[in-house]
Amino acid sequence: MDNTARIILHIDMNSYFASVEQQANPFLRGKPIGITGKNQERSVVATASIEAKALGVKTAMSTWEAKKVCPSIILWPGDPEKYSDIMHRFNAIYESFTPNVEPFSVDESFLDITEEAEDYFGATCMAQAIRSRLYEELGEHITASIGIAPNKLMAKLACETVKPNGLTVVRPHEILDLLDRSELEDLCGIGPRIKERLNALGIANFKQLREFPRENLEREFHSYGTWLHEAALGRVASAPLLFKEGLGVVTSQQEAKSYGHSYTLPQNTSDPRVLKRYLFGLADKVGWRMRRDGVVARRVTAFVRFGDPSTSLGTGFSSHGEQRTFQEPTADGMHLFQIAWKILEPISLVDVRLVGLSTSILSGDPTQPSLFKKERNMTSVLSALDELQHRYGSGIWKRGATLQTEFKSRSSGFHFDHEI
Amino acid sequence: MHEILNDPIDVTVAFTDNRVLPRAMRWNEREYKIDQVNLVHTAREGAKRIFYFSVSDAANYFKLKLDPEILEWRLVELYTDG
Ligand SMILES: [Mg+2]
Repeated sequence: MDNTARIILHIDMNSYFASVEQQANPFLRGKPIGITGKNQERSVVATASIEAKALGVKTAMSTWEAKKVCPSIILWPGDPEKYSDIMHRFNAIYESFTPNVEPFSVDESFLDITEEAEDYFGATCMAQAIRSRLYEELGEHITASIGIAPNKLMAKLACETVKPNGLTVVRPHEILDLLDRSELEDLCGIGPRIKERLNALGIANFKQLREFPRENLEREFHSYGTWLHEAALGRVASAPLLFKEGLGVVTSQQEAKSYGHSYTLPQNTSDPRVLKRYLFGLADKVGWRMRRDGVVARRVTAFVRFGDPSTSLGTGFSSHGEQRTFQEPTADGMHLFQIAWKILEPISLVDVRLVGLSTSILSGDPTQPSLFKKERNMTSVLSALDELQHRYGSGIWKRGATLQTEFKSRSSGFHFDHEI
Repeated sequence: MHEILNDPIDVTVAFTDNRVLPRAMRWNEREYKIDQVNLVHTAREGAKRIFYFSVSDAANYFKLKLDPEILEWRLVELYTDG
């Protein structure tokens, strides 16, 4: 498809969690605040308010460091449920403008408004209309920056240029200009490591990247080099390619070679319906993590552990597990569940104390952009955000079957829960 | 000061334009007039949908929780400026 013919909006909430708190609580407005996890002492600032950013507080700074940089900062415990609810509301507003809404992270979405807007004038009007709907329905303190461009990558880059509350329009003939005003790292897809490697090749900006021989880039970065070359020309439009830097992360995930969860039941059970529900919950969670990382699997392993070693004759819990390998790779929770249940169903499921599921033989998913890039980067530092992602994921992919099952939550997620 | 609470309260509400607007509340034998409803959001509690109202008067921020099934209000957060 001719990508210059499309019109894409990228909408990014400004200092999202902090803005929501400032909307809710007028006594936090105009002040430097930092949204943290539940255990503030050991937490990091997940989002700094606009005021805190101006005073030098950065995202993912430890609360200790934030206090040092900005002694007047108000540290406020995050409320993932609230952010998730508001997220659904702004996406619902977007959906009233176009059915083509793609949430990219908890506070960012892409809207393809080619049909609805017709041209860039229409797109600008629509952006203003969306902004006033956000104002009316969410309040004046929850603001967004909007970028409009012929593809997602450029729309996101345009959006980055004016914050907060910006509206930046980049028409096809203005793309190179936008790139040349931007730093390499501003582009979604170029992380600090890639930037260093580019610098080592003598490439410090997009102009140099564009002029660097494509074959040499490909020699250095393989298919990612092609992507870089095309990106510097503003020609990378498609989502699958968009977030492959990504590549580094995905590769390390593939090196991990499996995704899995097990769950120790609150009480042993012999009821297949109960087991099915837990297994489904696990499959959904594993599938969600895989989609988050943009990978698919061709093997599912399901297992159960029985009874209690103190009452059985053995030296430990007896267990049973098997695996299935299949041709069509998947990251869909329902598929994973169905495969896992086919493994477990024939087993005599009596007095089960633990159920688990894992996936392996992984590959990058060529059809699916790796979502939640920003949150993925954050998980390592903030468990509260991890919990939010889980809600976010299950909000989008929620299925009726798990509604009965309530996983007991802990700050890190499941109760007696082990990532494998 | 920021306090997390879970206290049953009495709330006077107005129903306007298909919205529920808390107007005043009684907590700890004191009456508070609510000046602003700043944000309303919902959350799931099991199969139930719970409503939260972030409201304020001149000196306090209150987060009120409404369980629409049993029509019970609770004060769950209090923040006093300064
Ligand atoms: Mg944002």
